[in-house]
Amino acid sequence: MMHKLLAIDRRIIFALVFLSVAGPLLAGISLPITPTNEVKAAYDQFEKLDAGDIVLVSFSYGASTQPEMLPMSRAMLRHAFRRDLKVVAICLWPEAPGLAQQVLEEMTAEFDLEYGVDYAFMGYKPGNFSVILNMGQDFHSAFPQDQWGAETGDLDLTRGLRSLRDFDLVLDLAAGDSIEFWWIPYGQEKYGFTFVAGCTAVMAPDLYPFLDSGQLGGLLGGLAGAAEYETLIDRRGSASTGMSAQSMAHLVIVVFVLMGNIAYFAVRRTSSEQRS
Amino acid sequence: MIFLSRTLPLVIAFAFGMLGVIGYYVPHGDAQSLEREMALWMRIVFAFSYLLGLYSLLNLHWQRIRQRVAGWAYSLIAILSFAVMMVFVVYNDGLGPFTAQAEAGGYKWLFDNIQVSCASTMFSILAFFIASAAYRTFRARTPEAAVLLIAAVIVMLGRVPIGRELSDFFPIATDWLLNVPNLAAKRGILLGVSLGAIATSLRIIFGIERSYLGGGAE
Repeated sequence: MMHKLLAIDRRIIFALVFLSVAGPLLAGISLPITPTNEVKAAYDQFEKLDAGDIVLVSFSYGASTQPEMLPMSRAMLRHAFRRDLKVVAICLWPEAPGLAQQVLEEMTAEFDLEYGVDYAFMGYKPGNFSVILNMGQDFHSAFPQDQWGAETGDLDLTRGLRSLRDFDLVLDLAAGDSIEFWWIPYGQEKYGFTFVAGCTAVMAPDLYPFLDSGQLGGLLGGLAGAAEYETLIDRRGSASTGMSAQSMAHLVIVVFVLMGNIAYFAVRRTSSEQRS
Repeated sequence: MIFLSRTLPLVIAFAFGMLGVIGYYVPHGDAQSLEREMALWMRIVFAFSYLLGLYSLLNLHWQRIRQRVAGWAYSLIAILSFAVMMVFVVYNDGLGPFTAQAEAGGYKWLFDNIQVSCASTMFSILAFFIASAAYRTFRARTPEAAVLLIAAVIVMLGRVPIGRELSDFFPIATDWLLNVPNLAAKRGILLGVSLGAIATSLRIIFGIERSYLGGGAE
């Protein structure tokens, strides 16, 4: 029995994982979500800003992580626009412009915002951390034109921006190492702006030292972080819906791990008994 | 030739390494101007590195197709996909290659409907393999593995709403695990990595570390 359990066909595992994800989504199961301290901290940083303050949003993620990153991008932009904050979006990841454009179009349409006045999209520039150094020295030099070819100096929103110090908040939405290896050493540490971040769930534990040191003012980790943010802004979205599926998937994996260990120890015990 | 292959790269590494340090730490106007120039140069070099990466990628796949190695058809698909995307990027919805990227058009359509879907699917498949791998390999064979397993189970349940529904213990324990042992370990790793990076940088700047020059040991 235990031998059979250990040699279970992996297709059975795949089927159960599929059902654990699809079932709650199809059934529309909703679970209560309680925001964690690091997500509340990120929310509070936005709440501290006044209407008209400028937020720099850096999109540093690609298509593969979009299911995790899009809900948090949407929730944080919605919060910013709801508070009448101005948003300047940039991309430090080659795949990011298409994804950023998608979420910006969606959010700006929802709030009926004017391009160049309420928000601006500067597009992608190669160079990773050197773009951040460049923005710190001279924003217009780093981004002389926006994504659509308009001069940065001609847009109302970006005309007066000279350095990273001119932003009231910087938000990095990242699926790589841009938070700890680009933005913190070359941006936040050097120019002292308030910095919050959103990242994939797997990256989040790596960033706790920066939360503790105060270099990171708040953090959203993965779909759970996005769902908590949706709870804080009182607008349930795809992250909140996805949390029931993620809950069931985690539960199924935990059950499998426990079952695997029970079977493993039972077989080991039987083998040692037979040997003795 | 020794000058070009050895001495000159060492001089460049020393000069730009020192200028980088000065630009970062010295607040004087001249040092800041220098840093600004260097940041621009770095971005230009970075952009050229994409060309190198592109050549490397296409060459690798071309060689795989030419030699008909196992799975060469995937290489063919990679090159064809690149070519199709490139055509739409250059066409740029009728605007041509020398204007900013169009807001819509074939490239945007391909990106939204193929690139995003394929990449997201690839990443999503991980969930199935993680579940299968966890079942087969995540065993409490040693005390250290048992600690890791218990911590993983607690965090997996504590990070999702169902954990809180099962017991308040899971989110509280997860919070503690992330903010105490995890933070301490990560901080230690970060300090170690940073000190290692500083030591390696100094070795490169002062010409002690020369492996980046290639050609093996002198």
